[in-house]
Amino acid sequence: MFIVDSVQDIQDMARGAVLLGTGGGGDPYVGELFVRAQIKNGRYPKVLSCDEIPDDAFVLSIAGIGAPSVIVEHLVSEKTLHRILARAEAFYGRRVDALISAEIGGANSMFPLALGAISGIPVLDADGVGRAVPHIEMTTFSIYGCKATPGIVMDDSGNVVTIEAVDDRMAEDLCRVVTGAMGAMSFGALYPMTGKQAKSFAVQRTITQTLEIGRAIRTAREDSRDIFESLIDYLNSWDNRTARILFDGKITDVTHDTRDGWHFGRVTMTGLQESSDECVVEIQNEFLVCRLNGKTITIVPDLISILDRESGEPLTGEMLTYGQRVKVLGYSADPMLRRPESLEVLGPRMFGIDEEFQPIESLFASA
Amino acid sequence: MSGSGFRLGIDVGGTNTDAVLMRGREVLATAKSFTTADVRSGVVNAVRMILDKAPEHRASIEAVMIGTTQFVNAFVQRKGLAPVAIFRVSLPKADGVPPLAGWPDDLVEVAGSHIYMVGGGALYTGKDYAPLDEDALRAAAEDARAKGLKAVAISANFAPIRPDIEEKAAAVVQAVMPDARITISSKVGGLGLIDRENAAVINATLAELSERVIGSLQTAIADLEINAPIYISQNDGTLITTETASAFPILTCSAGPTNSIRGAAFLTGLDEAVVADIGGTTTDIGFLLRGFPRETTAANYIGGVRTNFRMPDVLSIGIGGGSLVRKGEGGWTVGPDSVGFRLAEEGLIFGGETLTASDIAVRAGQAEIGDPAKVAHVPDETVEAALDNLHQQIEDAIDQIKTSNHPLPLVLVGGGSILISRALKGTSEVLKPAHAEVANAVGAAIALVSGRVDKLYDVGAMGREDALEQARKEATDAAVAAGAREGEVEIVEIIELPMTHMKSGSVQIRVRAVGPLAALA
Repeated sequence: MFIVDSVQDIQDMARGAVLLGTGGGGDPYVGELFVRAQIKNGRYPKVLSCDEIPDDAFVLSIAGIGAPSVIVEHLVSEKTLHRILARAEAFYGRRVDALISAEIGGANSMFPLALGAISGIPVLDADGVGRAVPHIEMTTFSIYGCKATPGIVMDDSGNVVTIEAVDDRMAEDLCRVVTGAMGAMSFGALYPMTGKQAKSFAVQRTITQTLEIGRAIRTAREDSRDIFESLIDYLNSWDNRTARILFDGKITDVTHDTRDGWHFGRVTMTGLQESSDECVVEIQNEFLVCRLNGKTITIVPDLISILDRESGEPLTGEMLTYGQRVKVLGYSADPMLRRPESLEVLGPRMFGIDEEFQPIESLFASA
Repeated sequence: MSGSGFRLGIDVGGTNTDAVLMRGREVLATAKSFTTADVRSGVVNAVRMILDKAPEHRASIEAVMIGTTQFVNAFVQRKGLAPVAIFRVSLPKADGVPPLAGWPDDLVEVAGSHIYMVGGGALYTGKDYAPLDEDALRAAAEDARAKGLKAVAISANFAPIRPDIEEKAAAVVQAVMPDARITISSKVGGLGLIDRENAAVINATLAELSERVIGSLQTAIADLEINAPIYISQNDGTLITTETASAFPILTCSAGPTNSIRGAAFLTGLDEAVVADIGGTTTDIGFLLRGFPRETTAANYIGGVRTNFRMPDVLSIGIGGGSLVRKGEGGWTVGPDSVGFRLAEEGLIFGGETLTASDIAVRAGQAEIGDPAKVAHVPDETVEAALDNLHQQIEDAIDQIKTSNHPLPLVLVGGGSILISRALKGTSEVLKPAHAEVANAVGAAIALVSGRVDKLYDVGAMGREDALEQARKEATDAAVAAGAREGEVEIVEIIELPMTHMKSGSVQIRVRAVGPLAALA
């Protein structure tokens, strides 16, 4: 158990959440500001590891759903957070014992902490994917049988829609349509689960991971140590996980395109030192695949992040522009995401990429 | 306009006020004077020196272009700022992140926490999700008036696509607070409520000061009997009118480095280079790319407050003519602290008792200022060690700002360029062009006029080409409205950002158009 009682901790977490957002997931800044204001008023989020709750505890995800560019206008309403909790408890007929993030990458790392701060309900140190993904059915919760619905979706004006879908693929479609009608932003109470399910199906210790990633970057910067060395050392300190710097260069082209509610894009980079190496990262909301001179070196669900090469600040897809100097980071996904049943849902083919998943360890043996 | 092409460029910096008289591409006369607390007399002094050198041109001056760091300095130093009544039209949305969230505590204190949130706002579609709550707004304005507040910032949800909501709110507030200076957010920022609202609040804190400073600039030019329109440099190196600058001082916040980089480009004819502006206290190192400063891409902070302004990507290090030279455990070091404008009293060459970087430069024979006899006693080893340290620091900074190992020319501008005497690693050559000491004022004098648009377009319904065409036209019209010559406006930047999780086809489009000043036909 730990208490988030410093503004610096929440800033570190937000920085780490952008890295795990792999280019998507929305900027956590809005949620970070909300929690910072709570911390200044002495209302601290409490984080529990999954072992610290009973098997029969009632656990729920609170998530912002919508377009990153709409969230930055509508921000977040404290009243709405209170209301969705009250509606959810009435709907499920029981008190919520703990909150859990559906995806730790991006904005949804912060909303459970925000509600935790104002309600006193603890937040679990875990989430449903350990990165960001574009669909409701792409979480380990869904994959291992803990469905997203029945759940509720609501907006700030007080519109509430309850959703009960036959499967999570359909839940995604329904949430998307409802959110569209609400102005492309809503809040959802989803993935009702037991403490036992959270222990078995969630990706563990990911709030800690966001905090420690953000801290590794910040402290290296403050002490004028090598930021990327510090970051890679930290990421590799996790059992069964491997981090590599995939590329060091500058952006020579960025394209963006929206089709059917997806953000498609491509970032092209070339090496800094008169090198002819070309690195391309394909975007579909998140960074999906990284290719060096045409050869795949990291592919979804393994993580790809792009960071400013001077400050080490992780960047979202929207922030990338021509001329930026960046480093591309590859990080093996949590082992749970690399199992066959997971790859069926969030492997390369689910994003229209005609390639088999191969782990970063075999694609990119050494830097 | 007679078309003589004479113009006066002026840079009002923190320490110096520089002036330059130009005709076409030719620099006719330059002058340097101290900046004064009233701004006016510093400008009058500098321009008088010019007119003394070229009195026959007074009547031919067709435009006066002024760049100033007065506003950004005031904000960064928290001096002369007005407390602000902040009205946000957003309820039932956004109450969890109120205005001033994320501001440094000392600034919150200066701005005051006079925050009023009322109902109203629009969705991205442009549709109202709640009507403007005029009664609540009126009551809030009455409260602000009772507190004696005179500066007002107004923000609303999706104001960039529904500016009418803020305009209506401004009318309601103005009726209750007739003396208030009101900044509405859609005039100072694009999408992103927090950053746009921050810009509006910063602007409101400066509104009173800007009216005073712009007024003194106008008085100065009138006192000098120069009968020509005055323009002010804005962040991207283009010009705005004095009315616009007076109402929107925030638009000038990074004009200083922009003008020095553009001035360096003009004076050398280079298109791509590293530019180091060495002043009394700091060296600002920027990157010239295709004739303009390279801009930052991440969020930008002004005095610790996040905004969505794009700023020149400038690295500041504590090296300047007034930097202290001291021996520490690791040997001799230069800076980062400086005697600043007290150099004229405290430097050894001026009879003072502090060893500064300028003293080292004079002792090394790199410059002839003050009295060289007063530094004759400084040992050679000290001079060498201090110069080693100083050049090393500048080399490190150059390396950080560059995008590749490929050596590039380095252009030195500003009064402190006398400090540099050696070849620098990572550079192909070191240039000190003529008039480098007034590069800022040159940058102001050669400025263009720009127009911008930053909005959501329904590309699905309009088609991409039509949407882009409309955005280009809106930006071009904005440039012409700002004084650019019709028919010569060019589109210099187009950025498209698609909106995910929305029906296919909503795209945020940003376009910037620039053109020469019509007044200089």
